Amino acid sequence: MAGKDKKIKIALIGNQNSGKTSLFNRIVGANQKIGNWAGVTIEKYEGVKKYKNLEFHFVDLPGIYSLTPYTPEEKIARDYLFVTKPDVIINVLDSTNLDRNLYLTTQLLELQRPFIVVLNMYDELKRGGVKIDVPELSRLFGLEFLPISARTGLGIDRLLVRIAELALQPVDPLPTKFSHYPDIENEIKMIQSVLCQDDKLACLYPCRWLALRLLEGDERVYQLLNERPLRIKVEPLLRASIERLEKHFEQDMRTTIVESRYAFIRGALHETMTVGKKANAVSHFIDDLLINRIMGLPIFFGIMWLLFQLTFSLGQVPMGWLEQCFKELAQLIGSFVPNGLIKSLLIDGIIAGVGGVLVFVPNILILFMGISFLEGTGYMARAAFVVDKAMHRIGLHGRSFIPMILGFGCTVPAFLSCRTLKDRADRLTTMLVLPFISCSAKLPVYVLLIGAFFPKHNAGNLLFGIYFFGIILAAIMAKLLKVFIFRGVSEPFVMELPPYRMPSLKNILIHTWEKAGLYLRKAGTVLLFFAVVIWFMTNFPASPQVDQKYGTKIQMITYNRSFSERQRDQQISALKNLQASEQLSYSLAGRLGKLIEPAIKPLGFNWEIGVALVSGFAAKEVVVSTLSTIYAQHGEDSTLNSLRQSSSFSPLVALSLMIFVLLYVPCIAATTVFHKEVNNWHWTWFYLFFTTGTAYLSSFAVFQLGKLLGY
Amino acid sequence: MQKLYKLNELNIGDFAEVLSIEGSGDLRFRLLEMGVVRGTALSLVRVAPLGDPLVISVQGFQLSLRKEEAALILVKKFGGFCKQKRMRHGWKR
Repeated sequence: MAGKDKKIKIALIGNQNSGKTSLFNRIVGANQKIGNWAGVTIEKYEGVKKYKNLEFHFVDLPGIYSLTPYTPEEKIARDYLFVTKPDVIINVLDSTNLDRNLYLTTQLLELQRPFIVVLNMYDELKRGGVKIDVPELSRLFGLEFLPISARTGLGIDRLLVRIAELALQPVDPLPTKFSHYPDIENEIKMIQSVLCQDDKLACLYPCRWLALRLLEGDERVYQLLNERPLRIKVEPLLRASIERLEKHFEQDMRTTIVESRYAFIRGALHETMTVGKKANAVSHFIDDLLINRIMGLPIFFGIMWLLFQLTFSLGQVPMGWLEQCFKELAQLIGSFVPNGLIKSLLIDGIIAGVGGVLVFVPNILILFMGISFLEGTGYMARAAFVVDKAMHRIGLHGRSFIPMILGFGCTVPAFLSCRTLKDRADRLTTMLVLPFISCSAKLPVYVLLIGAFFPKHNAGNLLFGIYFFGIILAAIMAKLLKVFIFRGVSEPFVMELPPYRMPSLKNILIHTWEKAGLYLRKAGTVLLFFAVVIWFMTNFPASPQVDQKYGTKIQMITYNRSFSERQRDQQISALKNLQASEQLSYSLAGRLGKLIEPAIKPLGFNWEIGVALVSGFAAKEVVVSTLSTIYAQHGEDSTLNSLRQSSSFSPLVALSLMIFVLLYVPCIAATTVFHKEVNNWHWTWFYLFFTTGTAYLSSFAVFQLGKLLGY
Repeated sequence: MQKLYKLNELNIGDFAEVLSIEGSGDLRFRLLEMGVVRGTALSLVRVAPLGDPLVISVQGFQLSLRKEEAALILVKKFGGFCKQKRMRHGWKR
């Protein structure tokens, strides 16, 4: 390996809100990548930092409070420590909240691995007037505590030096001074000495740790023990120990051990820390303003409204530029490539498809910036707190509210924002009902149909009614999903409200950029594929007869001298529309429409509407453009009029269609993101049938009921 | 013998000491591991606009939890002049 940089694996571990990620960003900067931990949607951050002739590979483990594996985050962190065995573990503590942060430290030091504890936010602590005797604290724990501040850069150089030293010369960890209650220590020592007789076990894990975990009743360690012959010897001893201790402390072992850890921590802090003025006074004051009982909800809605407006209104501007860019690009390519299939594939398939993904990027950048900001300041936890009661009624967590709001703009960012939901059942439920929240692309469909079939004075009410129906249905479905599919207890709300802090711009930008990149990489590829498939379905098979028939007709008009130029253009564009609609009915999509006609007849739809719905899978606005293509053959000048003239349409059919469009499966972009986020085919299939099935049943009920009532 | 309260029965601004946590599920251990152990001093800070969840201040940080979760925590109220002092040394048995 001479000449090559030595790789050092370093794991950052600590509580949520301990500033772990800030430290990570401070050290590795933009030199990082985010991925997912195997099999879960928990993000994994990795970054590399060159240091002298070393290469530091940092992994930012999920923020956890304990190594006891209840949550997926804790399982990941624990597995990483045991299986990947990082060369150095850095335990990041929030200095302003040492009591709780040190709990994880007491668990980590029992692993007896190369280990550095950093007191992050040390500057903030000093500002608060709190004093810590760091050398004394280090002595009590038998650990090195380094005061740092990820925000100001205090102590970072020293930390890097220490990492390098520790990585190059692995010294045996200092014998820890940390101890449990004496009675527990005695039992640990006794069991430890027996366990150490098994060399294989002893070289895998520290015996003391094993003994303690067995006393706590850790199932995974029990499984480990069950594979060893030593088990016969250990088990009776263990049972006797537990019985003795439970009798002595009059409670179960796990509680006693947690208490004994806190007893040590609180004792140590009592000796080393002097409390200054009232901590968190500023946060209390801001909370009194932002989440008080009267203004809490209005302020919450105000902030959500702002996030929504920024995402969709401000995002609209660059979105327009991008759309323009793609239009120009299409024209540019159109002028180079000869007419024909290749041109159509490039322009209508690929550019339209890729463009369809890229135009969302500004919205997504703004959205993630907003979310990072709200998370970074600490407001996000409060937002969940404010609306939790309402969301809990329908079986969801307070955090589910944000995706719901975003869903009115676009389902794609709404799905992505579901990452803030920790519990898998909550996340799935929220994602499954999100399609019922009417996204902005569905609006043109409503506008067209309401405009064509309903009196003006009722248009606003009807539009509101459609939106409202979606919201109510989302709430009902969430409740049903929770009751019938995701049975069991809902996620507890126990959650820290971190003190308000000003997030650094650098952290926000890094996060935003990484997440937007993830969206592009993941959604881009699959979406491109589907865009080509839809293009293929609406263009193939091409009918030579149709081409020939219209080709000659157009030629005849072109050379007909009796028309004025204006008349000629009108005639030609009318013929082209007719050609397109006949071609569509001949294509795979058209045939599919006819194939499903019997199925959608009870909803009041004919095959043309079927085609529009199928192509609406590309994007909901396409329903409008397809309808106008098809109904162009009625010869009317506007889609509105041709729809009114059509015998297959009535106000009832229009209502049924609007409800179907509201509820059925979202566009490919959203569906792709759903699949990528859930990463499970079963759920993607369920999602397809669940949304479309709900749409079918609702439209069916509306149409049949309407017919019975004589509409 | 002082009266026992469930945490959700406190009024805003009340100080109390944790006596025990009922139940046996993961929630109980989550609370324990976050520092809500026997002998810890805490206070009820605020209630959400809709009346649930609550925010408690415990060992210098703020924890929010639903009323149904708070009902698992049994506490003993502090009152009178020794409140402040007890709060500071709340971790002592």
